[in-house]
Amino acid sequence: MKRISFCTFRCLIICLILILGTTGCWNRRELNSLAITMGAGIDKLEDEDVTDQLQLTVQIVKTSEIKVGDKGNSSADAFWNARNTGKSLFEVIRGFTHQSSRKLYWPHNQVIIFGRSLAEAGIREHIDFFVRDQETRLGVWILVAEDQASDIFEVKPNLERIPAIGLANLLKAQKASSQTTAIKLDEFATRLMSKTTAPIAAFVKISGQGSKKSLLVTGTAVFKQDKLVGELNKTETRGLLWVLNKVKSGIIDVVSPESNGKVSLEIIRAKSKITPEIIEDKVHMKVDIKEEGNIGSQSCTDDLENRQTIKKLEDEKNAAIESEVKAALSKAQKLNADIFGFGDVVHQKFPKEWKELESRWDEIFPDLEVEVTVEGKIRRSGSSKKAVAPAKE
Amino acid sequence: MISYILKKLRYLKLLNVNYADDQKKQGTSEYGQSTPIKLSQSLEKNLIAIRNLIGNNFDVIIREFSFGDHINVALIFLSGMTDQSMINENIMKPLMSESHSSQNETLKIKDIAQIKARILSVGGVNQYSSYDEIIDGCLSGQSILLLDECNEALAIMTTNWKSRAVEEPKTESVVRGPREGFTESLLTNTTLIRRKIMSPDLKIESMKLGSRTKTNVCIAYIQGIANPLLIEEIKRRLNRIKTDSILESGYVEQFIEDAPFSIFSTVANSEKPDAVAAKILEGRAAILVDGTPFVLSVPMVLIESFQSSEDYYSRPFFASLIRSIRFLAYFISIFAPSSYVALTTFHQELIPTPLLFSMAGAQEGVPFPAVMEAIMMGIIFEILREAGVRLPRPVGQAVSIVGALVIGESAVTAGLIGAPMVIVVALTAVSSFVVSAQSDSGGVLRITFVILAGFIGIYGIVIGQLGVFIHLASLRSFGTPYLSPLAPLSIRDLKDTIIRAPIWAMFTRPRTIGWHDPERQEFRLKPSSPSEETKEQNKAVR
Amino acid sequence: MKLEKGEISSSQLMFLVGGFIQGSLLTLAFAKDATKHDLWLALIAALMMSLPLALVYITLALKFPGQNLFQINDAVFGPYLGKLVSFQYIMLFLMIVSSNLWFAGDFFLTFFFPETPIIVIMIMFAFICAWGVRAGIEVIARMSIILVLFTILIALTTFILLLNEMKFSNFLPIFDIPIHDFIQGTNIMMAIPFNEVIIFMMVIPYANKMKQVKTSVLYGLMIGGITSLIVVIRNTAVLGPLADIVVSPSMEAVRLIDLGEIIERLEALVGIGLILSMFLKVSVFYYATVLGMAQLLKLRSYVPLVIPVGIIGITLALTNESSIQFTYTAMNTYPIFSLSFYIVLPLISLLIVKIRKLPK
Repeated sequence: MKRISFCTFRCLIICLILILGTTGCWNRRELNSLAITMGAGIDKLEDEDVTDQLQLTVQIVKTSEIKVGDKGNSSADAFWNARNTGKSLFEVIRGFTHQSSRKLYWPHNQVIIFGRSLAEAGIREHIDFFVRDQETRLGVWILVAEDQASDIFEVKPNLERIPAIGLANLLKAQKASSQTTAIKLDEFATRLMSKTTAPIAAFVKISGQGSKKSLLVTGTAVFKQDKLVGELNKTETRGLLWVLNKVKSGIIDVVSPESNGKVSLEIIRAKSKITPEIIEDKVHMKVDIKEEGNIGSQSCTDDLENRQTIKKLEDEKNAAIESEVKAALSKAQKLNADIFGFGDVVHQKFPKEWKELESRWDEIFPDLEVEVTVEGKIRRSGSSKKAVAPAKE
Repeated sequence: MISYILKKLRYLKLLNVNYADDQKKQGTSEYGQSTPIKLSQSLEKNLIAIRNLIGNNFDVIIREFSFGDHINVALIFLSGMTDQSMINENIMKPLMSESHSSQNETLKIKDIAQIKARILSVGGVNQYSSYDEIIDGCLSGQSILLLDECNEALAIMTTNWKSRAVEEPKTESVVRGPREGFTESLLTNTTLIRRKIMSPDLKIESMKLGSRTKTNVCIAYIQGIANPLLIEEIKRRLNRIKTDSILESGYVEQFIEDAPFSIFSTVANSEKPDAVAAKILEGRAAILVDGTPFVLSVPMVLIESFQSSEDYYSRPFFASLIRSIRFLAYFISIFAPSSYVALTTFHQELIPTPLLFSMAGAQEGVPFPAVMEAIMMGIIFEILREAGVRLPRPVGQAVSIVGALVIGESAVTAGLIGAPMVIVVALTAVSSFVVSAQSDSGGVLRITFVILAGFIGIYGIVIGQLGVFIHLASLRSFGTPYLSPLAPLSIRDLKDTIIRAPIWAMFTRPRTIGWHDPERQEFRLKPSSPSEETKEQNKAVR
Repeated sequence: MKLEKGEISSSQLMFLVGGFIQGSLLTLAFAKDATKHDLWLALIAALMMSLPLALVYITLALKFPGQNLFQINDAVFGPYLGKLVSFQYIMLFLMIVSSNLWFAGDFFLTFFFPETPIIVIMIMFAFICAWGVRAGIEVIARMSIILVLFTILIALTTFILLLNEMKFSNFLPIFDIPIHDFIQGTNIMMAIPFNEVIIFMMVIPYANKMKQVKTSVLYGLMIGGITSLIVVIRNTAVLGPLADIVVSPSMEAVRLIDLGEIIERLEALVGIGLILSMFLKVSVFYYATVLGMAQLLKLRSYVPLVIPVGIIGITLALTNESSIQFTYTAMNTYPIFSLSFYIVLPLISLLIVKIRKLPK
């Protein structure tokens, strides 16, 4: 084997060092030259006479305010909401260079909020930037604001210093009640790409007045194609999540079989399965939901610790779950938006028949027959056996 | 640049040759240049000649006296390198008293052989007949006895000089294991090895290197385990060394290593006899150089840097854990600053959000780019380390305290340097001490990677690391691939890499080194519960 | 006159082949357009199809022990026609080197350094490959084991970390594409990693145990194939239909890793894996190009050619217009164009060998 000739080698290394010297900064960005964007809110301006109707609000972290150990001026806001308007989203984003001394930096973006009016007009063109740009990531939460998205960022959270992070944490915490659809861009885009499945997103509202404003994330925004068409309330949302196999935890209130008191049942784990069937050219869907739970609390003083009562409670729970699913279903059928992804399930199971079904899915879906079977179990009763009440005679 | 220096050196070498030629022309009588000159019969003439050669040195003592029937003799020795009491008791005294007792006997001792045979009560006595031999002997601590009317001289082994006692080595201290370390005396060192391996197969071959220093260099190996080709190669490379001075084993190392321009050393060194003995027993050869406690061993593989003799004395699980931690520390010491630079200047998207906030907060208002910070801190650390090593211990501590306070505290509070960078550099510094054998290569790699990372981020680091990998994979140390047993992979030899298998499981020597005689021990030596027989014996005893 | 004095063991050959196939992990997305979520089926089909073809190459190589592709060409087609065929092969290899350089540069440009000139990334990559080639095939083979294991480790880790995000219903319905799309997808897949093993006809002569060559190469193909399968399954299961629209499904899939907000943002692993595995692939092609040229020009050593060929490769890569054009070529033109090199010529060679009863 030939030894590397020293001379050539040295030449190459010198060349390399020379290249090093000429670089300067193609992609070098020091940490203190970034405007770390935590949230983006996109609105449509209502004024008819304004030509630039797209308004983008970005929430930028003031890194100097969150300097660790610097306790002096912690009362100042740790964020800055910058606003810009324009015709297309990318243009608006680049337009920020006129007002922000640092370049917007997207990889840490936590939430994208669409204003209601914009969502109703259609969002497809605005999603593209967030999928295409190499700085943005698919793991970002998608929300729809009840009114203007820009207002959402003004509400200071009580526990976090940055509203966008507070919002993201709110969405992460939603699995405790399973009454909000927390959805990320990857799934949203997947639904948007599907021919039948309707995209969904979480709804965010502002509650309270003046300085006592706080954010409320609840319910589901339902899109048809890329346009907002309606919303599901808490119960309907959980009905949706049961079918989507996304219920992680939550509370179901049922009426005690002995008296009129309430028993709260905690959901521990749940599982669902959608099976499509085609009987005589007609599509049926079967949804099987299996649920396990504990007794969370009881407001009545009944003795729940016997098998009959538990059985009755389970039946009531099953009925409650079924009614939730039915509620979601009827709402979806009313909106004619296949938020459950039934179409895709049929496609996966019956690829041949689907070719014919696909084109008229919009006609099939509103009258789709869905059979819901729920099998709920109560496993444990927490750390007490009976209610805190005097024993009954 | 290096090549420019080399060119200069070549030029100097030419000069040297010319100079030596001139010298040769000037005087052939100059010591050591011409054919050996024999001793003459006359003591006077001999003494004059010897005085001419070494007589004007203050440590040379020439003692003339006579004994017996007025036989004139002269004893020549170096005062610092000889055992005075031995000269008095075993040379002078017998000779002097012989002069009295010889009256009784008819025998007149004139014969040098008789003195050697009957009078001198010393172990090693040689007979020399040329000046060269005499001078060499005298300079290495022998006492020379010159006799009138005799053209031969006796060289008596009275060698003894002050040397350091066997102490615990400073560079490789252990918690468990022998505490002795090599000393500056070659004889002590060979003895230390011999005491570990009392086999007749342990060969210690000696040669003298350096035309002026005449340094004794020994090659120690075990015949039958070490590859004969390896020994031949070592001898060939050692014989190539034509220099005037060998002052430390580092001289030898630089003359015999395979890749002189590599930042990785291909010759290992150790200060511990047990480590060297273990290496010899694996089939390596050790090169001992007089005057230094650092013993070389070849061939060296990269893995050796991560092994410590203590690994083999502690239990396997713990040893394996420590090994992996050493690897981890080495990687941290090389990659930590560069990764930090790459992450903060190119790949902020890879930093988890909360961490990014605190890092960005700390970086706020810092005037320098992260690359500059990393390089500056690296250099400051090296300065502090060097100052701490060279200075006397108490002062060294003061330096490190001042350095730590000034750099660590003030620079951060003054906003000159971000706090995370200080943490990274401190972590790197601590990690770099873990694998001390590779700390020199680690320093170079660290700086290189920081520059590459500042240039093009993680891409630069990976490209640089690939380059290092190519270099390592193409390195060989005395025929052994430097990365073995990892590349080329030898699954059997993985027993002593990131994990350290139990001693009973390591029944073969490393394939690439000691394959001449692969079997180290019997196959099934795993301790097991007492067999049925011994149980019954125990019962019987009870 | 022997240009290469190195020797590689059978296990090294196996890992070299495996790493070589792994070098195309990210280019698998080329077949995605045609095959959609049935990419994994096309992958398996391509792997199965490539095994007999690999056997053809090995048989040819073993018929002429110690001789590489270009020497075999000389023997089979005669000195003049053989030289012409060899020249064509060299050009093909050079083209593959350059397009891989471009692909690596394009990938890093798209995902990590959008403002950096592509030539810088390509020069650095070519430099490191040139270094490897100068060190010889033995060194590359020695490195292959660790690089392959590292790539497998990355693939497996990301697979396990993404188990949470996977939806296996994304694979349904199985075989949902027209058969001609499937064939096209399989062909793309064969052309880009699997059939390229023909390059190992340049390496096999330096294997030290000729008997084990066959098993080594086939096992190597399996290693590469299985790693690719892991990656393809991961991407499709995680991204579903999104995988069809993104440029690099691997990148997007790994970006979604989020385990307890601690293990997240690991996409650098994909980039690192790309460089490490692509280094092997490009080095082997680079090596074959340089060695072939040296043979054609009857040089005593291939080393002087390394840097010129690298410069030509980079220049050639710069002729690529855009990644859109590049992808189009890789998907539509190249798979058909390369058929003659990968299938027709080797089969003709084997036929001639059988008829003329070579080697005499």
